[in-house]
Amino acid sequence: MFLQLLANGLVAGSVIAIAAVGVSLVYEILRIVNFAHGDYLTFGAFVGVAANVRYGERMLVATIVAIVATALLALVLEFALWRPMRRRGAGFMSLFITSIGLALLLRHVLFLVAGAEPRSYAVDPFKVYVVGSVRLGGSQGAAIVVGAVAIVLVGLLLARTALGRKMRALADDRALASIAGVNVDRVVVYTWLLAGALAGLAGVLQGLVQASFTPNTGFQLLLPIFAAVVLGGIGSAYGALVGGLLLGVAMELSTWEELAGGVNPVYKPVVAFVLLIGVLLVRPQGLLGKERLL
Amino acid sequence: MTLLEVRGLTRSFGGVRAVDEASFDVAAGSITALIGPNGAGKSTLFNIVSGFLRAERGTVRFAGRAMQRRTPHRIARAGLVRTFQTPRALTKLSVLENVLLAAPHHPGERLGRVFATPRAVRSHEAAAEREARRLLELVRLDRHADEYAGTLSGGERKLLDFARVLMTEPRLILLDEPMAGVNPTLGGQLLEHILELREERGVAFLLIEHDLDLVMRASDTVVVMNEGRILTVGTPDEVRRDERVVDAYLGAQG
Amino acid sequence: MSTVLSGEFWAFVGVVAGIYTIFGLGVQVQFGYTGLLNFGHVAFMAIGAYTMAILTVKTGIGMWAAAVIAIGVSILAGLLLGLPTLRLRADYFAITTIAFSEIVRYVALNEDRLTGGSQGTINLAGAGAAAQYDESWQRFQTRAQAWLHLGSKDVTMLVLVWSAALVLLVLLHLAVRSPWGRVLRSIREDEDAAASLGKNVFSYKLQSLAVGAVLGAVAGLFYAWQFSFFSPDDFAPLVTFFAYTIVILGGTARTWAVPVGAILFGVIYAGTRFFDFPPFSYFDSADRAYLRLAVIGVILIALMAFRPQGLFGKRDEMVLE
Repeated sequence: MFLQLLANGLVAGSVIAIAAVGVSLVYEILRIVNFAHGDYLTFGAFVGVAANVRYGERMLVATIVAIVATALLALVLEFALWRPMRRRGAGFMSLFITSIGLALLLRHVLFLVAGAEPRSYAVDPFKVYVVGSVRLGGSQGAAIVVGAVAIVLVGLLLARTALGRKMRALADDRALASIAGVNVDRVVVYTWLLAGALAGLAGVLQGLVQASFTPNTGFQLLLPIFAAVVLGGIGSAYGALVGGLLLGVAMELSTWEELAGGVNPVYKPVVAFVLLIGVLLVRPQGLLGKERLL
Repeated sequence: MTLLEVRGLTRSFGGVRAVDEASFDVAAGSITALIGPNGAGKSTLFNIVSGFLRAERGTVRFAGRAMQRRTPHRIARAGLVRTFQTPRALTKLSVLENVLLAAPHHPGERLGRVFATPRAVRSHEAAAEREARRLLELVRLDRHADEYAGTLSGGERKLLDFARVLMTEPRLILLDEPMAGVNPTLGGQLLEHILELREERGVAFLLIEHDLDLVMRASDTVVVMNEGRILTVGTPDEVRRDERVVDAYLGAQG
Repeated sequence: MSTVLSGEFWAFVGVVAGIYTIFGLGVQVQFGYTGLLNFGHVAFMAIGAYTMAILTVKTGIGMWAAAVIAIGVSILAGLLLGLPTLRLRADYFAITTIAFSEIVRYVALNEDRLTGGSQGTINLAGAGAAAQYDESWQRFQTRAQAWLHLGSKDVTMLVLVWSAALVLLVLLHLAVRSPWGRVLRSIREDEDAAASLGKNVFSYKLQSLAVGAVLGAVAGLFYAWQFSFFSPDDFAPLVTFFAYTIVILGGTARTWAVPVGAILFGVIYAGTRFFDFPPFSYFDSADRAYLRLAVIGVILIALMAFRPQGLFGKRDEMVLE
């Protein structure tokens, strides 16, 4: 039972982690708390379902289409919305509230276009992988593998590539990075492309894992995603990865019966929030975040 | 009589000791200058003394009471008030409101009293406003009293900070580079006010200042810091003759 | 007769706007004056409404006493929320507060025996017995209608809600114009500066949160009385964002801007449901609900882009930086 819950937690956690890295990068580099990020996920999930169900593409192709489309959405919004807002000198709170407006807009346009009825991908719902005592559905198995690969790739991208170094430099000190010859606008574009692509992937994975989804799905995942970002320490992409996995595992394990009877599964999100508040009590800057100085 | 007693303060950032076993005294009613090259740890020391930063070790006693565990606002209420290196004018409050905010023991700052004793609140506010306008006159900002503080220049904001600090009725004022960015005429006047306040009200000053001429002219005691440590403490004359002080400055510049 | 022209409909819009005025005043004091990005404000509304309803149905105490206790519980919840979170940075605070409001909603949704669960307050007394908490209110409303010689229940409710809203508005106005409010505004801009002048920043933030909690709870009470029934879905995070839209629309740090924002919002929100001319007539009623929320999103974005100080705010005193 423990291993089963752990596996479930890793599935849920990798989806959260993938999305949280994007939120964290956007925050680090652009100082935007993007409340619409959950709806980027939903967008990806719906593009995927359009490709997969309506146009009959294989799931792999549909996933790639969703990733590309969501990356493009993020890019379009950078040019149409975020960049003009920055040029107008919009500050932290303005951008935060703008993102809330954007979240409302995206979600309800999706409702208008796609409707409210639950959607599912055309995958075999009865396929099961058995590893030892752990049983995972086909979608879950795929999610855990794809999630792990994506997490490793993002980690490598940040640690080893020139783009990753530039992103981290920009996150640390914008002025210094720009003096050191980093093309800020270009790195910002890549940041959105990466965050969007990851959101698209996370959206499709969530759609697969949940079996069905609606235009509300991304928003429902937004709080766990933010909790992961905060848990890891805002401004730490690695922290977001760790926070996401930790949160997913903690949410699932909390229902373990041998753990003082376990928590009623409906309270899984509450476990995430309580964990978040608990960690912040001890470490106000998050697990991997830097301490704030005067 | 010792007003402020700093003993063995230590604080490091990432393995570097920004303040290292710093000890010194500030006498009541004195003007003490804290000097040293950039990065000597002067501002960190200020932040610790005013409660904005925790020391790893050491004690701060003010008027005989331990301060090192207190929060900034409680230290300020005890009569130990600071200014910041970059002035922290509240730009969205009027200049007058900035000074009024600093009024001590204001009953109107308690929500219950606002409704329970409105008359006491009003009369206290009126008295505070008279005092605030007087202080603004002192620093020549009375013309701007009703403008947003955001319209003031950098130098004017320093003066506003100064007026605001005076409004709290302090016993010791920590001034972080009070003369930087203030035009020389006004700076001279500011210095006069400092001397006057010391004479009339017995207010003590601990100031970080880079203008050594001014430091030597105005202060009773000079505390020299270098690389986190207190290098020497003495009268301006003693410090001027101290080889180590010259070395520290030259070393830092070379 | 078209719904748009019916007095009943506009009385309803007016009542909702009045409730949102009270609710929005809470956001105004927390966010507009103190700079606290409390995204969980709806929790206070939920706690106010649920406490009153639960106590009235399940215990012997009367509805009015229950209402007073509800406000007290909401204050307590505000303090409980503030103690661990108020020391956090603005972004962390925003996220933990929205998490708090979701915790409250989840509890309301899943603790059937306490709250009636997803079916709402009708289920408060258990299955089979349709629970009612507002008999005292109905009696009071009938008496008020007779005493004020008003034509209908809707208009009476309108008068009652707006009387409460205006009284609270005046009280809040006096509070924020006082030296107390000056301290709040100083904290909004620079807490370190406020602390350096001897202000107990934490205590003032807590007070601001508590005042907001009272206003949220009162809004919750009126919400409960207006609709005679409510369920956890009525307290989604969206409701908090509506209040932010209202406050920003009217202008931050302007008490009198809140009712104006609320009325405009009410017209946009309720109005679009019944507008039967193009482009609204191109959408069916379910789609219009989505369209309405998309429009709110566009309004928020447009305000941030073109008029962040709102209709009545002053640019020099702009809070949103």
